[in-house]
Amino acid sequence: MKYDHSKKLSGASTDIEQLYQAVPQLANVFRIKGKIGEGTFSSVYLAIAQLRGGHEEKVALKHLIPTSHPVRIAAELQCLIIAGGQDNVMGVRYCFRKNDHVVIVMPYLEHESFLDILNSLSFEEVRDYMFNLLKALKRIHYFGIVHRDVKPSNFLYNRQMKRYALVDFGLAQGTPDTKIELLKVIQSEAQQESCAWNKPQITLGSQVSVTARAPRQLVRQPAARTANKRPCSLSQTQIKQGQKRKEGPESLHVQRSVFGERNFNVRSSASQDNSTVKLIKQPRVTDIAARKILAKKKTTSAVTNGLVKKAASSYPTNVTCDCYAKDRVCSVCLSRRQQVAPRAGTPGFRAPEVLTKFPNQTTAIDMWSAGIIFLSLLSGRYPFYKASDDLTALAQIMTIRGSRETIQAAKTFGKSILCSKDIPAQDLRMLCERLRGSKTSFDISTGDGQINLSQEPALQAEIFNISDPALQTSKKHLQYQKPSCHERDGLVIRTSEKPADLGWDKVPDEAYDLLDKLLDLNPATRITAKDALLHPFFKNIKQ
Amino acid sequence: QKTKNKLKNPFLKVEDRRRRYRPFYLQLSSFPVVNYSNPKPYSPFETERKNIIAHKQIENKQRNPANNDKGKGPVQLPAKHKKRKGYCECCLKKYDDLQIHVESEQHQNFAQSSHYQVVDDIISKFSCNFVELSTPKIKRRKCSV
Ligand SMILES: [Zn+2]
Repeated sequence: MKYDHSKKLSGASTDIEQLYQAVPQLANVFRIKGKIGEGTFSSVYLAIAQLRGGHEEKVALKHLIPTSHPVRIAAELQCLIIAGGQDNVMGVRYCFRKNDHVVIVMPYLEHESFLDILNSLSFEEVRDYMFNLLKALKRIHYFGIVHRDVKPSNFLYNRQMKRYALVDFGLAQGTPDTKIELLKVIQSEAQQESCAWNKPQITLGSQVSVTARAPRQLVRQPAARTANKRPCSLSQTQIKQGQKRKEGPESLHVQRSVFGERNFNVRSSASQDNSTVKLIKQPRVTDIAARKILAKKKTTSAVTNGLVKKAASSYPTNVTCDCYAKDRVCSVCLSRRQQVAPRAGTPGFRAPEVLTKFPNQTTAIDMWSAGIIFLSLLSGRYPFYKASDDLTALAQIMTIRGSRETIQAAKTFGKSILCSKDIPAQDLRMLCERLRGSKTSFDISTGDGQINLSQEPALQAEIFNISDPALQTSKKHLQYQKPSCHERDGLVIRTSEKPADLGWDKVPDEAYDLLDKLLDLNPATRITAKDALLHPFFKNIKQ
Repeated sequence: QKTKNKLKNPFLKVEDRRRRYRPFYLQLSSFPVVNYSNPKPYSPFETERKNIIAHKQIENKQRNPANNDKGKGPVQLPAKHKKRKGYCECCLKKYDDLQIHVESEQHQNFAQSSHYQVVDDIISKFSCNFVELSTPKIKRRKCSV
């Protein structure tokens, strides 16, 4: 669910009428005030209900897209019922259905726009925010729910009341031992490739834009339009859990007997077509090599098709080529099938293992996303990453966390990354302070900057690069900030001038240590929600 | 006959270490850098200055009327038929137009089928303490679904 606070409650009256029409029972119970959010898979409305006893209650009505599979709808409800309602996890009040239209009724929590308040939060508020986010994650992870779309717009924050709510289980998946029974039925694409054979590889979200954001955000973040893709496939032929098949040609062979030759063939050509589309579609990418190869491929398509088919049906391994871990590709490696791994979520919040298509993703992907939120809070930048595709996002992660470190971690989950450039990891404190613009960060010519220059060759280049603008930043700062902060101008400007007021002048090392552990490139060692809550960063927190 | 191609710098290539799957790669015009001079709260990876400026203008235009509108009733807008592409999990079918698909015979058959029992089972366990909105003659009673 995507709430949008700043979107005015108007202009959606036709949607409201349509909702009343689709689920007529609603008219007996609610006065729907307006649409407050719209995403790929749902729309959210604010409504007023009468309670027994006379008083009124504001509720959020989440209307699911009528193409949602009933099992997925039920799984979302089950998440809300079982895990929700406490520890900052959104609960559910009721649910209405008429045919394929389902409306979930939830308590309404008035909340801030993350972008609006980001640079006016005190350090203590940031600590509280993270503590409460981790509390919600601990709760859902305990039940074996991988949320998959942890980001500020799915973590409602009422600053005044200090209330928090993690929302939207529309993309959730279960861990192998999940306590949410229906999440076991919803299987990841990796576990259930069969469905992908029927399901087009085209990202749903790329066509159906996520308009949950305010218009201004749409302009600022076109990448978000390609955000949500359902993580898994539901098929009428559900395969029982525990029958987790091995990937690879052998299992495909098994698949054929279940889904039939026809489906198999449809997919094999479809997958090739799609990969073509994908490559050509990638924006701002010089993909001449691929185009050349694809152009040539057309003439030899019979050969490659045959290859794919043979490999898939009988050979235990693919035909090999010598491109592995080298700066080249050839028609042999490019004709292999694509690995299927869940990647639902929002680009800038995807963990490295999601970006590199590691199939067995865990609750650790949510912890990475929490780390990205923390990174935004500490650096004053949102969205922090700005990428329109997975590999650009990965390149940006490498720019922060280091290329060697990223490559090393990827090895542990079976991925080889080759990067043409060696980029050193950034010191998180220096990075955040410079981006936030606190005192030390502008002081490039003195102490900190010098240490940095000698320590990190890559940063050195950067500093030379930006040294001029950086010195002007304070000026530009005010210039740019004024229009964006309207009501809070005074406060924000005070923030950047006197960080001391809000506790930003003495951010403890523990903060960056926790950030480092959340942004652990290796999902196996990345900190869990439970452990993060015990991190020294949170000592003496008032709960 | 193999066709080989060398990737152009800078690039990023990812492959499965067992070499079973198609490698995927990215060739960029330049590798991303942290741009500290982007004003807050913009991403340090935001490369297009014009986005920042354009965004400001739109924001200012839209923000202020939005605030003024508060408290007024919903504005009537003409119904606009949005063509939404997507994939129907019920029918296991791609569609080009959501509205047309959900009205199709196949989808309607599903919509009215017993597949939703799994949802109804959950709904039946809820207790509802909303009351029906009072209309002059009908007494308030428990909401029925
Ligand atoms: Zn359908």
